[in-house]
Amino acid sequence: MSRVKEFDFEYFIGPAHPGVTGNMNYHIWAEGDTIIKIEPNLGYLHRAFEKLIERRMWIKNFPLIPRICVPDPDVNEVLYAMAIEKLMGIEAPPRAQYLRVFMLEMSRMASYLFYFGGVAGTLGLYTLPNWSIGDRDYILDRFEEISGHRIYHIYQTIGGVRRDIPDPGYIERVLELMDYLEKRLKDYDKVFFEHPIFKKRAKGVGVVDKETALKFSVTGPNLRAAGVPYDVRKAEPYLVYDRLEFNVPQVFTDGDVYSRVMQRRLEFEESIKIVRQVMENLPEGPVNIKLRNPFELRVPEGEIYVKVESSKGEYGFYLVSDGDVKPYRLHVRGPSFSHGLQLVRHIGPGTNIADIPVILFSLDICPPDAER
Amino acid sequence: MSMEEKIVEELKSILGDLGEVWIQREKRVYAKVPKNLVLPILAYLKDKGFHQLTTITCVDWIKRGKFELIYNLFSLYHENIHVFIKTELERDKETMPTAIDIYPMAFDYEREIHEMFGIVFEGHPRLDSFILEDWDGPPPMRKDFDTAKYVEEKYGVKDYTEEIWKRMEQPYREEKDE
Amino acid sequence: MGLFKISQGRSLWMVHFCTGCGAVEMPPTMTSRFDMERFGIAPMATPRQADVLLITGYLTVKTLKRVIMVYEQMPTPRYVIGFGSCTVNGGIYWDSYNVIKNLDLYIPVDLYIFGCMPRPESIIDAFIKLRKMIEEGKANKWKDYIERYDWYKQNQAKLFDINKWRVQK
Repeated sequence: MSRVKEFDFEYFIGPAHPGVTGNMNYHIWAEGDTIIKIEPNLGYLHRAFEKLIERRMWIKNFPLIPRICVPDPDVNEVLYAMAIEKLMGIEAPPRAQYLRVFMLEMSRMASYLFYFGGVAGTLGLYTLPNWSIGDRDYILDRFEEISGHRIYHIYQTIGGVRRDIPDPGYIERVLELMDYLEKRLKDYDKVFFEHPIFKKRAKGVGVVDKETALKFSVTGPNLRAAGVPYDVRKAEPYLVYDRLEFNVPQVFTDGDVYSRVMQRRLEFEESIKIVRQVMENLPEGPVNIKLRNPFELRVPEGEIYVKVESSKGEYGFYLVSDGDVKPYRLHVRGPSFSHGLQLVRHIGPGTNIADIPVILFSLDICPPDAER
Repeated sequence: MSMEEKIVEELKSILGDLGEVWIQREKRVYAKVPKNLVLPILAYLKDKGFHQLTTITCVDWIKRGKFELIYNLFSLYHENIHVFIKTELERDKETMPTAIDIYPMAFDYEREIHEMFGIVFEGHPRLDSFILEDWDGPPPMRKDFDTAKYVEEKYGVKDYTEEIWKRMEQPYREEKDE
Repeated sequence: MGLFKISQGRSLWMVHFCTGCGAVEMPPTMTSRFDMERFGIAPMATPRQADVLLITGYLTVKTLKRVIMVYEQMPTPRYVIGFGSCTVNGGIYWDSYNVIKNLDLYIPVDLYIFGCMPRPESIIDAFIKLRKMIEEGKANKWKDYIERYDWYKQNQAKLFDINKWRVQK
């Protein structure tokens, strides 16, 4: 019996779709159910940040900077403040550095809870998003008490942080929240992380092995899940990370969807440890250096590259200054530019159409920081 | 001898008099080379073990009339050091050979620089529109492009006018017969 | 027909389209803390069976083309809610060359929610106001799009070519 030849079909996984992480587009050529070629299409969220930053003074850029990366906005503010401080040659006081580490780790935990909800939603296990996004709201409550806004806290400034913790009971509330989140991880295990459907659909799917990861500039938890123990907090310590105790877990190193999800689950526990150490050992002192006149601040000439470990990968700012009241050039290196474009073109062919949302959500591609 | 000084020695022994090499701070090595030596140096460093091209930055120095390209390389096997290769091009007169044969990640970085600054990379298979669709103006990241004037001409709305207030205060329309 | 309007206001389905950065406050509104399904609001994947289109935040020119395609596929009566201060006058991106400044010139808007970002309680408050507007018969801007179609198309033609829905290969 002869078979009818199947033709190539073209599909769009378009912008208005619950299967892509945000507002972007993938153009797919498929034969039957297997994919032959996949081509990304970006540009739906381009706001021209690098042009707008050149038109405003140094201190007036702080409301604009956290909007570059939407689920994890504290990383941008800390990077901008660190780059200016290194060019000027000043250093934030110790209490401010501990508070900066606190904000970065809480933001990492909120981003990981959002990630777990996203991956479980694509597999159809909708109990986990309802629980984890509800628990993430308790973290946003702590952010609201210390800075006034749930998502875009404009809390860092040149020379430290803007204000101190609101009242001494704040530390006890944060430690209670850490105990609650640690207990909830056991409930998540029963509902999602040890579920047989998740294990069957995630093992061996979307494999990124060690050579591919090193060739295509992959960084962050995706690289650690492929077997390379590289973490910017250990390799080039910034702020006070060289005085805190934490591990870089290397248990699941196969490089498939299962390893990437479990790697983030283990790093969630390490973040809880870091926040406990920071809150129990906060030093006394001032929280910022008083600048003489922030609206007439001039930063000396020079260029600098700073980088930080965010929840998606290695995040970098390249700042060029020529001694004026405004920045001359700021280039943002986002981790989703290398994950979302060349890597997907390479590992896409050969998979099924139904596995594409699972792979895209597990790589944690966020379009705002790929196209700024 | 520290690892940064070893890298500086090796690069100086290749370049000789043609370029400058210096250490900026801990774990950052800079090298300034003329345009036709960029690809050989990238190939040499890739053989040595610099496996990752982190990014390519472009800066527009309009007063001197030049574009500056900065290649950012990184290696795990050399104690996490970043090496920056800088070069300069004449504005609107010179083109640059592409680096995708050495580092495949440069495919998208060069597309973005071509769209935003207007630099042509010879040998690149696909230099069409990437982020902006149906764009009819000059390359937008250049220093002589004024975005406030462009916004006034294209969108035509400067501030709250009478018409806009009237439309927003009455979000529903009156029904004449129902 | 009072009964028809009362029951329509209590089951509004919205299109699942995250257009801008305001969409990060939509999952907390939909899940267990500020549950909005108890008011009858649920997300829907296709525009052919939806009532409300939420424009969450700023719009670029490339997204505006797709939003107009989605809006014209929804069956009448259909409602639009503008979310955040970027739909009012451009917000913090007032001098960006790629962000549109005034949403009301391109598609008709029934209701605005102010803030950057609006809290989940304000989103639910806006849906309750929309329900009251539907019961009183005041949410009828969709008729404006049908009657003044040429004026809207003239405004859209200043930004892109309306006869050519280009597909990028």
